[in-house]
Amino acid sequence: MKPRVAPAIFLGIPTVFLVGLFVLPLLSMLVLSVWRTENYHIIRDFSFHNYEVLATEGAYMTFLLRSLVMASAVSLICTLLAWPIAYGITLYGGRYKLLFSLAFAVPFLTGEVLRIIALQGLLGPLGLLNGVLLSLGAAPLRVIMYTNVASAIGLVYLYLPIVVTVIYLSLLNFDQRLIDAATIFGASPARAFFEVTWPLNLFGTLIGFALCFIPCLSATLAPRFLGGPNGTLYGMAMAQQFGESGTWALGAAMGVVLFAVSVLLVVGVARLIDLRRTGFTGFGRG
Amino acid sequence: MTKSTFSSSDAASPSASPVSRRTVLKTLAAGTAGALAAPYIRPAYAAPTQLRALMWEVYAVPDIVGAFEEKHKIKFSPTFFDGNSEAYNKLRVGGSRDFDLVQADGFWPGLYFREKLIRDIDYAKIPNTANVYPVFKPDRFKLLTDEASGKHFGVTWCWGSYGTTYNAGEVPKEKVESIEVLFDPAFSGRLATSARFEENIALTGILAATRLGTKDKPRPDGKSFNPYVLTDEELAEVEKLLIQQKPLLLTRYQDNTTLQQLLESGAIVAAPEFAQVYRVLVQKKDKGEISADFSHQLVPKEGGLGWVDTWLVTTGVTDPATLDICHDFMNTFLAPENIKKISLIAGSSATVDLRSISTPEEQKLFLMDRTEELSSMYMFDQPSSTEKWERVWSRVQAA
Repeated sequence: MKPRVAPAIFLGIPTVFLVGLFVLPLLSMLVLSVWRTENYHIIRDFSFHNYEVLATEGAYMTFLLRSLVMASAVSLICTLLAWPIAYGITLYGGRYKLLFSLAFAVPFLTGEVLRIIALQGLLGPLGLLNGVLLSLGAAPLRVIMYTNVASAIGLVYLYLPIVVTVIYLSLLNFDQRLIDAATIFGASPARAFFEVTWPLNLFGTLIGFALCFIPCLSATLAPRFLGGPNGTLYGMAMAQQFGESGTWALGAAMGVVLFAVSVLLVVGVARLIDLRRTGFTGFGRG
Repeated sequence: MTKSTFSSSDAASPSASPVSRRTVLKTLAAGTAGALAAPYIRPAYAAPTQLRALMWEVYAVPDIVGAFEEKHKIKFSPTFFDGNSEAYNKLRVGGSRDFDLVQADGFWPGLYFREKLIRDIDYAKIPNTANVYPVFKPDRFKLLTDEASGKHFGVTWCWGSYGTTYNAGEVPKEKVESIEVLFDPAFSGRLATSARFEENIALTGILAATRLGTKDKPRPDGKSFNPYVLTDEELAEVEKLLIQQKPLLLTRYQDNTTLQQLLESGAIVAAPEFAQVYRVLVQKKDKGEISADFSHQLVPKEGGLGWVDTWLVTTGVTDPATLDICHDFMNTFLAPENIKKISLIAGSSATVDLRSISTPEEQKLFLMDRTEELSSMYMFDQPSSTEKWERVWSRVQAA
């Protein structure tokens, strides 16, 4: 019996945690989504009206498409930026590797709101960039003032450290001698990278991509403070339902749809990729 | 040091003490239960030890709160909110027992009273209510009186409009006298509005009804025009106008600091707001910190929106001692020297007549001679259908 106690404890605690703080709230959201609201009151009538609204009102589909495009673009940019940064730290970080990786955690010591508002100041009309341009007699860069580009910059700024850290950790566990072996057998550095390093770190890259993509899909603060009149994303529209408009049931339905879309995307990617060929070691040796 | 009357041998000997382990456990359990329950049990008329308020952060002025705490030997515990709907959710979810006092504006006090979240109060115990301008007295300001019972359920303390603050060097006065200025292509990319969906729709609703010629015609509900109760035709016109307005806007500002920066930098030239930013900009101009001249159009010619902030007492307050403290808190808040201090900090106009203790500049800046204009404004109200309004707003945002 004794060997069974430890797994029960170590897997039981996170299970209780997940059920209590994730599954139950999600179920309550599901229940709320089939009720309706009327002038700040919840009416407990069962119907799929909220899902009909989401399916027939083009606005919500527009928000979702905007969010999918934004999340894809931001995750791609973050991954493209994170790879050389993480690879550089691994190759040239020397004894400062740990310091470099910890440095990426520094932004997390402040709140997300604070970081976004700081960025609003930086990109805004009185910000550093436009301030310099104005002092030089040039016109301010309107493309970074309250636009989707500004939102994207904000999201890259928010999530790049996460992607760098994940890819860095993947590279840290990667056996560099495999590259040496490839080059000894005549592979060029580029071929060694694309045929050895990249595929064996693909799982880490995908995790980094997903950890950027999923929060971007529900981003609220960046589009709200940086996005401007055309920058409303799905997460922001959803937050609005729980805030000023008080249409909580519709917001709950939006949340359920967002969760379903996220799960479908993750499952879709998992089915497209053979995890055994991506550096994933979770299957064990058997 | 106090010498113990028990020896260690006494304690160690089971026969020496009649106290059994079970008794000790029972006593401990009872003590623990008592300690846990103590905060929730008190005599009905005991003096309260704290006053819990649900309020906007800017109005919690430390000097005033501190003096009140000292006077009553009580702890003032504020919880802050950003908007009425958030406060409403907190009151409904937590129940009115979580708070003694709550702030609200517009139609919200009436809604709270109908839903029994707040209770009636006694103006006789708040003598400073006598100092409010006539337009805020119960005979003219009806939003704080229950029509059926005639009971009063709130006190007013500051007011404002949703007028237009503009750069006087860039926008001609005759243009800003109309809501049309916010839809004028001549100012494309140099306009902003607030992110509040109700006020965007209601203000545009006044313009839409004016353009459609429905504002002064008989209404479907038999009442006079209210921009928060729009017909489907008017809402469709509002949606069209707001979509046309989008390319003209630089942004929809989330907070006053952002709006101030946008106006100060010249990035925008006009925006509707509560006149708080206008006051900051005028004071900066007076100090020579900025060169641009800013003005504020309180009420556009088509009609404008107005609001009055109020203090309310929740139905959680049932014992006379706490109710007295609540009455005195509101009275303290309305004391001229206190309300002036709050006005200066928050940049809002007081409902109390402060002219005798204000400079001519302050009187002008805080619109002390213009309170009567409030009667020409449409008060912030509950949208006739939040669901319909939400769809309109979503379509505007997605367009």
